[in-house]
Amino acid sequence: MKRYIGVRLIYLVLTLFIITTATFFLMKGLPGTPFDEEKLQQLPTEQRQKIYASYGLDKPVVTQYVNYLGNIVKGDLGTSFFYTGQKVTDIISGRIGPSALIGLQAVLLGLAIGLILGIIAAYRHNTGWDYATMIIAVLGVSVPNFVLAALMQYYMGLKWGWFPVAFWESYSSSILPSVALSVGVVALIARFVRTEMLEVLEQEYITTAKAKGLGFIRIMFQHVIRNSLISVITVLGPIVVNLLTGSLVIENIFGIPGIGSLFVDSIKMNDYSTIMGITIFYSAFYVLVMLVVDLLYGLVDPRIRFASGKE
Amino acid sequence: MLKKKKVSLLAMMMAVTVVFTGCSFSGDSKDAGSTTGTGDTATTGAKELKLYVETEIKDMNQWLASDDVSFTVLNNVGEGLYRLDPKNEPQPAMAEKVDVSADKLKYTFKLRDDAKWSDGTPVTAADFKFAWLREIDPKTGTNGYSFIMTDYIVGAAEYAEGGSADKVGIEATDDKTLTISLKQPTPYFLRLTTLAPYFPMKEEFVKAKGDSYALTPQNMLFNGPYTMTSVDAASGATLEKNAGYWDAANVKVDKVDLKVIKEKSTALNAYKAGQLDRVLLASSDVSAAKSEPGFATGINFKTTYLQFNTKADGVSNVNIRKALELGFDSKLLADQVLNNGSKGATGLIPDEMSAVEGKSFREMQGDLIKPDAAQAKAFWDQGVKELGKAPKITMLVADTSETKDVATFIQSELKKSLGIDLVLDTKTSKARGQLMDNSKYQMAITAWGADYDDAMTYLDLWTNHTPYRGNYENPKYDALIMNAKKETDENKRINMMLEAEKMLVTEDAVVAPIYFGGYSFLLNSKVEGLDYHPYGNPVDFKYANVK
Repeated sequence: MKRYIGVRLIYLVLTLFIITTATFFLMKGLPGTPFDEEKLQQLPTEQRQKIYASYGLDKPVVTQYVNYLGNIVKGDLGTSFFYTGQKVTDIISGRIGPSALIGLQAVLLGLAIGLILGIIAAYRHNTGWDYATMIIAVLGVSVPNFVLAALMQYYMGLKWGWFPVAFWESYSSSILPSVALSVGVVALIARFVRTEMLEVLEQEYITTAKAKGLGFIRIMFQHVIRNSLISVITVLGPIVVNLLTGSLVIENIFGIPGIGSLFVDSIKMNDYSTIMGITIFYSAFYVLVMLVVDLLYGLVDPRIRFASGKE
Repeated sequence: MLKKKKVSLLAMMMAVTVVFTGCSFSGDSKDAGSTTGTGDTATTGAKELKLYVETEIKDMNQWLASDDVSFTVLNNVGEGLYRLDPKNEPQPAMAEKVDVSADKLKYTFKLRDDAKWSDGTPVTAADFKFAWLREIDPKTGTNGYSFIMTDYIVGAAEYAEGGSADKVGIEATDDKTLTISLKQPTPYFLRLTTLAPYFPMKEEFVKAKGDSYALTPQNMLFNGPYTMTSVDAASGATLEKNAGYWDAANVKVDKVDLKVIKEKSTALNAYKAGQLDRVLLASSDVSAAKSEPGFATGINFKTTYLQFNTKADGVSNVNIRKALELGFDSKLLADQVLNNGSKGATGLIPDEMSAVEGKSFREMQGDLIKPDAAQAKAFWDQGVKELGKAPKITMLVADTSETKDVATFIQSELKKSLGIDLVLDTKTSKARGQLMDNSKYQMAITAWGADYDDAMTYLDLWTNHTPYRGNYENPKYDALIMNAKKETDENKRINMMLEAEKMLVTEDAVVAPIYFGGYSFLLNSKVEGLDYHPYGNPVDFKYANVK
């Protein structure tokens, strides 16, 4: 097990290296520079060169790349071009909080409701319960979350005044965005759980369990749900990464200072160091979550537990 | 076994939740009373203004800041020699008065005795000299605004090129006297001193803070009507009345809460919920909002125009350019498509920009462009005859929604008036800029926002002969601009610029003005005196009051 994690961590570093390299060169291919070109136009070429030089942008791309890698190894993601003078690590850590809180709440809420709906739908297969649940699931997947967010903002925020319309001022500010984000998760999880449970319910070991005279609750929790969770864990990995790293649209609608909008803005502004910083952060997070997912498989299903090198 | 694992998993998740919920909400830092809403404003007597900006608050360092939002904040926590009044006229601020020499080349400013920094120390002439030299030096002044000093101040351009600081015409004669030598008479020089790059700053403070200067309010020094209590690029800033400000008696609002809201619909909802005092309207909301109290429009000094590349196929012919210029009616565009307070352009210099003796440049010039389909067609036919064939015209467009609407409108109008199929080449703003820099375009939609309230901010642009400015090169035009810059007689100077605009827009048809930028907004009826300036520093909270 330890060895397995060790190998995976080495892969993680390798993956990050490849992603960093690819992003760096792709990014340098973007047209323009991080500066306001219209204003720079006004300056004599010599002065413009001086400005580029002060950011090390006058050097060949390969040299810039080597310098950048050197800094990363030292744990320095550089300073932002757009938010001049601010450290990229500071910017990211300042922005990740709201996004992560909203994302985590959305995942937990979505998971809880999705599981319940999925279990009900599977258990009451082909009844009104099933159909109702699946209608909710289809709606949840097909209605874009920004439409929902705008509707919730208008009704629950403005008209009925249950929650703050927008902004990040108190805990209640996080509720509407979390709910808006969770609807998609509910729909996805419910559908997965239902399909998977239907399959598990037909397995012979369930018949065996029933024949053994096990109680309903025991069959459901120890056998059916546990075995159905494998597929849920598979989809949960990417969902967690996706939601915890912020949503541009939801953040913009609710005026939340999150990381989703930061990423998109940094690309628009050619803010090289911030683009790289967030990319590395996202990738590392993603690869780590995937590792956790793989480990969770083992917890849930002993059949895919990892042998310690004696296969 | 299984149970144990489940429990530990749950514990892990909870631990994570605790970590995240530890993150700060911007409301946490505020005084406890604010949660009770607007009601407590009346009871405590504190007047609060609740506003927002549409993009992040990028930079609080005056030598780096280059965007309107940063200027919005800087202008209210800092102050230059002069400050614009509600009528956009410069009034003495840090300076008490100024003496201008007869040849209009020497400005001697006398600073106020009660001009103070927020740390209690006096604002001195040396603070101005330090800040201005820092702006001119390309190593430290990287906001791209140094030209508004190097173009005017003696020796500044040379200093920027590596020359001596001693030869720059900025002299701190004593603590309270600042003498500036200009290269040429500049009637709008006092207006320039109202801009953030012209603000003073204390050298020892900047040196002491080093790299962390202006990153947080604690690392900033204020001399404006307000001080900053908090700032976060993504969530906003809070300002508080500066008790030590020389004119504090006339500052009525105690607190300004400035949020960052990028979605127009979010801002509108927040306004309706009473969380904002003013909201900018999206054009789709204008019709519905017109009947509401507090609806108004304003203008920016920003003209959107078509830049022709005078060296490109087809549009190198002046008659083709004139045809394209007259072939669309921008009044229709402004009223029906944009519907946001913008006005159809009748020239390059925007409405309300000052000229002389209280008259605006546009009043003096009159309408240069009168859309006329028949005349446009005649120019087109003439151009085709000269070229030997009908040229294929491609218009370069940035991929913003407003620009695309404008482009589609022009396309359909030209189809009607000239019977041509205009090709639209849509690119990101940056790629568009690059194609223009490399002269790889026929015509492009572009815009220029004024840096100061004088037609020169526009007309000077076409003397650099770059591809971005259409490769325009006309010695007569260059001479007009050069002479206007030297002219000490205001009337003569304005006349030269009037002629230059005519040359650029009608005779040589290098640019085809499309519209003057404007905006529509709703304002809380309790708020008055909240003055937005059409250029430079966008807004003053100094004169505002909440009833």
